[in-house]
Amino acid sequence: MLKGFTRNFKPLEILTEEQVEAIHRGALDVLEETGVRIEHKRALRLLEQNGCQVDYDEMRARFPPGLVEECLRRCPSSFRIKARDPEKDLVLGGNTVYFCPFPGMQIADPDTWEPRDATRREYYDGVTILDALDNVHTIWNYTPYFGFEGVPPVMRVPEGVAAQIRHFSKSIGNAGRPAGCEVFDIKMAKALGIDMGGGMAVSAPLTFYGEQVEAAYRHVEAGLVTFAESTPIFGGTGPATIAGSAVSGNAESLAAIVLMQLIKPGTRMWAFHFAFPQDMRGGSPAFGAIGVSLSQVVFSQLWRKYGLPIATLASGPTSSKKIDFQCGYEKAISALTAALSGANLIQLHGAINAELTFHPLQAILDDDIAGMIGRFLEGVAVTDETLAVDLINQVGPIPGFYLDKAHTRKWWKLEQFVPKAADRLTYPEWIAKGKKSALDYAKGRMEEILATHRPIPLTPEQEQAVEDILKEAREYYRKEEMISDEEWAVYMRSLESPNYPYG
Amino acid sequence: MKAEILENLKRAVIEYDTEGAASWAKKAVEEGVAPLKALDALTEGIQQIGDAYGRGELWLPDLVGAASAMTTATPILEEEIRRKGMKRQVLGTIVIGTVYGDLHSIGKTIVATLSAAEGFEVIDLGTSVTAEEFMEAIREHKPDILAMSALLTTTAPQQAKVIKSLQEEGFRDKVKVVVGGGAITHDFAKRIGADGYEPTAPMAVELFKTIVR
Repeated sequence: MLKGFTRNFKPLEILTEEQVEAIHRGALDVLEETGVRIEHKRALRLLEQNGCQVDYDEMRARFPPGLVEECLRRCPSSFRIKARDPEKDLVLGGNTVYFCPFPGMQIADPDTWEPRDATRREYYDGVTILDALDNVHTIWNYTPYFGFEGVPPVMRVPEGVAAQIRHFSKSIGNAGRPAGCEVFDIKMAKALGIDMGGGMAVSAPLTFYGEQVEAAYRHVEAGLVTFAESTPIFGGTGPATIAGSAVSGNAESLAAIVLMQLIKPGTRMWAFHFAFPQDMRGGSPAFGAIGVSLSQVVFSQLWRKYGLPIATLASGPTSSKKIDFQCGYEKAISALTAALSGANLIQLHGAINAELTFHPLQAILDDDIAGMIGRFLEGVAVTDETLAVDLINQVGPIPGFYLDKAHTRKWWKLEQFVPKAADRLTYPEWIAKGKKSALDYAKGRMEEILATHRPIPLTPEQEQAVEDILKEAREYYRKEEMISDEEWAVYMRSLESPNYPYG
Repeated sequence: MKAEILENLKRAVIEYDTEGAASWAKKAVEEGVAPLKALDALTEGIQQIGDAYGRGELWLPDLVGAASAMTTATPILEEEIRRKGMKRQVLGTIVIGTVYGDLHSIGKTIVATLSAAEGFEVIDLGTSVTAEEFMEAIREHKPDILAMSALLTTTAPQQAKVIKSLQEEGFRDKVKVVVGGGAITHDFAKRIGADGYEPTAPMAVELFKTIVR
């Protein structure tokens, strides 16, 4: 299993116990009084059979508090997620902290910062880089990009998942899937004997759309890991207040938990935070805003009480359109506060320009942010050996010093985190080496990874299984007329490349 | 009294007072205030708010709050205009909706609300609207503008599908197509042959006004 990082101190708490209880009670009240619109008859019937009050005309289910609390108790507080390489399984829960990338729909051009579709080669290279980065522990989305050039929209997730399976030996999940493509993702997971996280995207306020509920059924019935999302935009799809949106988001998450735990008791579930203040000028979510941090800390405090592993997805995106100062501070502050608050999985790597672009250079830079945060979480070891009283007495005043001591050789590497793409040179060295910035170092590191890192290959049988499922998906969507003649012709030509599937 | 009613209509919009806007509109009808003048009073209010938004003094909730007040009062006055056999001068007609397979409504609804408040007649088809439903509305309402929203990259191509239907049915040169939503860029809009794209709701409404001018 991947160790990730261990938080060796109490998590950050900004609410009193009474305040946490007030948010919990508020959510239970909303669930009982107003309930959730669930556009899925089978789900409504199941909820009704288990004590919910259901109005089929309004497609509304109202939840008795006792049922909500009973279903919360059915959720395991810790579980394993199986990766292709068993050494890279995740074990979630407690004080373990992992990091993963945040997706961008397209690749950002690193000269102009304009978005464009990634090529097939860029997609596979992006996955390879994520495989190589020490602090990317899993993938939980259509990462790095939403498909690549030449692929029709409905095939973008299945093609992306195939690339992840081929070039990423750590665990894989996906938080939202269009056009029922989870069917093919689940088949790939089963063929390889791995977990494939996924499930139902919630539409705030208080609505579960039918297609998403269907996806949840498929995941839960296949025995895969799923999640309960909290996705309000404060002032847009939730109240403008962080506390109010914690109530509405929590009501949505708790309703999702009830549904999943009724479909299959004991289903492994994460609690996902993907909530933002609304930008009150343009109307989009305020990515990277400090409200994200406050909301994450509240969310973590609440969900630690419920005992589910916690993921903060909103820590990954930034409002900045390019790799710059704003991009760095927005990501670092969001990720650090998430980590301090007790989140178990933090989305961070690679995203630039909200959810619109990703670049591996940003992922390489973010890997250092993850490393720094991880080091902070490990805390300060206080033992006889680290206190080093005998050593201090032995070294004494100047000219005594510590650089030549065995204690130093042993401990500095355990105590310090050394970033891989940051400038720490002295000024004369910096001049002599061409005045390189962190971004320059990231470029060098990217070239090095692509030249040297080789992901663990699939066996021929696994490769065949993936290709067979892709073929089935292509034929299915073609038959359903979800791929036009024009798209099909471009797609088929792209498959004829001598480098298929890599470029 | 009539001047007071007009002043109160305007104030209701400026103060985001939906209930007040509706009750002053009813009062205007009861007291025989010219409904077109009453509509003008509402428009003055929304323009004042819009100008303050443009100067950065007010924010989106203010703009949408004022627009909601205005759209509560407007149907009451429009009913009176129809009853009197008069015709309201609208800036233009917009058919709007989120494309098939996409259930995101908030951005589209903000655009619809702001457009209605600015004096457009807005036919809001809701979310997950098929190409055929868009075509039906276009045949029926003959709008100046077709506005389509898509938040997902999977659903954005639906906008191209609707444009293709417009071409096939000979409507393409009769309606201006504006696209928007999180998944849309200027390049994409150009590629699918749309006439315009704006990234935010207030900018979209400004574009609509330019189109019909």
